[in-house]
Amino acid sequence: MLTYDYVVVGNSAAAINACDAIRSLDQDGSLAVFGEEKRRCYSRPLISYLVMGYIDEKGMYYRPTDYYRKRRIDFHPGSRVEVVDLERHFLETSSGERFKWKKLLLATGFQPFIPPVEGLAEMRYLTFVSWDDARTMLRLTARPLRSLVMGAGLIGMKAAEALHSRGCEVVVVEKMDRILPLALDEVASEMVAARCREAGIEVTTGRSVSRVETRGGYRGTAVLDDGAELDFDLLVVAVGVRPRMELAEEAGLHCDRGILVDEHQRTSCPNVFAAGDVAAAFDLVRGEPAVNALWPIAALQGKYAGLNMAGREVPYPGGNSMNAVEFFGLPVLSAGVVNPPDDSYEVIVRRGEDGDYRKVVIQGDLLVGMLVAGKIERAGILTSLIQERANVRRIRNFLLEEGFGHIHFPRSMREERIVEAVAGLARAGKGEEKRIVSHAQGSALSGR
Amino acid sequence: MKRIIPREEYCIGCRLCEIHCMVQHSKSRNIIKAFKKEKRPAKRVEVEERGHVSFALQCRHCDEAPCITACLSGAMQRDAASGAVVHDPQRCVGCWTCILVCPYGAVRRDAAEKKVVGKCDLCPDLEVPACVANCPNEALVLVEE
Ligand SMILES: Cc1cc2nc3c(=O)[nH]c(=O)nc-3n(C[C@H](O)[C@H](O)[C@H](O)COP(=O)(O)OP(=O)(O)OC[C@H]3O[C@@H](n4cnc5c(N)ncnc54)[C@H](O)[C@@H]3O)c2cc1C
Ligand code: SF4
Ligand code: SF4
Repeated sequence: MLTYDYVVVGNSAAAINACDAIRSLDQDGSLAVFGEEKRRCYSRPLISYLVMGYIDEKGMYYRPTDYYRKRRIDFHPGSRVEVVDLERHFLETSSGERFKWKKLLLATGFQPFIPPVEGLAEMRYLTFVSWDDARTMLRLTARPLRSLVMGAGLIGMKAAEALHSRGCEVVVVEKMDRILPLALDEVASEMVAARCREAGIEVTTGRSVSRVETRGGYRGTAVLDDGAELDFDLLVVAVGVRPRMELAEEAGLHCDRGILVDEHQRTSCPNVFAAGDVAAAFDLVRGEPAVNALWPIAALQGKYAGLNMAGREVPYPGGNSMNAVEFFGLPVLSAGVVNPPDDSYEVIVRRGEDGDYRKVVIQGDLLVGMLVAGKIERAGILTSLIQERANVRRIRNFLLEEGFGHIHFPRSMREERIVEAVAGLARAGKGEEKRIVSHAQGSALSGR
Repeated sequence: MKRIIPREEYCIGCRLCEIHCMVQHSKSRNIIKAFKKEKRPAKRVEVEERGHVSFALQCRHCDEAPCITACLSGAMQRDAASGAVVHDPQRCVGCWTCILVCPYGAVRRDAAEKKVVGKCDLCPDLEVPACVANCPNEALVLVEE
């Protein structure tokens, strides 16, 4: 039985960033990646861009063709891991092969949640989470058809946008009273919904599909909870995602709403790590473990898992929910708490004349949430203040100004961020001019 | 690794850095054409100003660059040779995730291209980046680690 120093199960954001981190510290250890899909790592969020024709198939790949070879990764594509044995340190794939590992990372991601809707089991539908789903959608929409999307979360809305771009009729049915309920607040949801409606997508909220009847293949009829009937030629089910933790559960790892990990992305078994959508890791706004099913979080957790696997004990700094969306020309960014659960939070809102909308959520002296729609530039400064848990008492009144930036920070904080935080440069800005390699030549006021 | 450091005590808020940056990243690299005839590219440096204080800020080329980790497409990468954080407009899909995570607000939507972002690339074709070279008061300096 072949033994690897490091084995990674999964081949997406968390997995690849873990590989990069492992290789940044250990060039020689043997490293294997098992991915159930046959493809090299691609970017899952880009599948709607592929359907819309915004990128071609080449644009889907997250890393270049020679990635695995260059990083000396034994890549096992099309190879599902079915058993993980924690005591004897081996795993078994669907083809019955066994491999031993010294350190293991579970980066098995998410799977779509299929609601217990009557008739769904007898139907063909798409969940729109993989490259194969994108291809199927492209094939089925060669001729425009009537489509129904169940669920108005990120994946549902991306599917709706993709179907719309293919000339399909699109109806979105959402059980909650608004679209993108987790990422946005009421105002922003309505702004996005209005854009979608203008573009011709029918958005129905506060209603749900209670039954579907197949009419053969992907075609069927949906019966809504108020009795309304909708015929469709293609159904997309996108009501939520769940961590794919069967493998971990069967192996006996502690799981709750995800695989539980400590601040080093380590599971309840010392040599086994988990990262990405499958892991419940520290959320620094909520102050407790949570699953934030997002690409940047998966990548960051993967990176920290990799560093820790390769022997550098560095705690994961924590993540928080965040979203970047754009539908029909309206960009909206949000981070942290956008819908405060009670009135211990203070909410400041600002609306510009041109449809611009900005909001911050403050708790005590901490900025814990932000949302900007329309003019999104520089919103990252707010995100970073949330993540740094910075005290914003002195700058709270400026947070929503259009020109908000480092200029509003106290000078010491600004210098620390701009000059000193960039490692290794602490002295350059403080008069150690010899490190300066260039400035303006022959400027009017030179000669200092 | 080269980095550009702003010196706010010297900045006079003239915004010449912004103008020269836009010209340098325009198609023609000609100031008149860039401003009058072409789609203006995103400025990759931003002058922040309030009262008498001002300074010009661009990408810090962070060591632990959040934009690289967060990028959905792999378009943000560290250049192995220079250490700079570079952006590949060919791979970028304009998802704005990097705008969401950049602590410096150093990434912007770039109207001159299809839906992509733009950020400071340290002017790889120039010996000294355009903003540094054209600052009239040496308020931007290029340092080497
Ligand atoms: C349409 C769509 C749009 C999205 N848009 C955004 C967005 O704009 N922004 C954002 O932040 N996020 C977005 N997401 C979410 C994002 O894709 C996920 O958060 C991210 O992919 C999680 O990465 P991961 O590495 O944890 O796992 P995943 O991407 O889920 O990958 C897990 C991999 O592991 C493999 N695997 C699982 N079990 C096994 C096994 N037993 N053996 C072998 N292989 C296995 C799977 O086949 C899969 O390839 C979107 C998702 C979808 C579907
Ligand atoms: S774009 Fe922003 S996050 Fe990325 S390296 Fe530059 S300053 Fe850092
Ligand atoms: S906008 Fe482009 S560079 Fe920024 S995260 Fe998205 S794909 Fe990456």
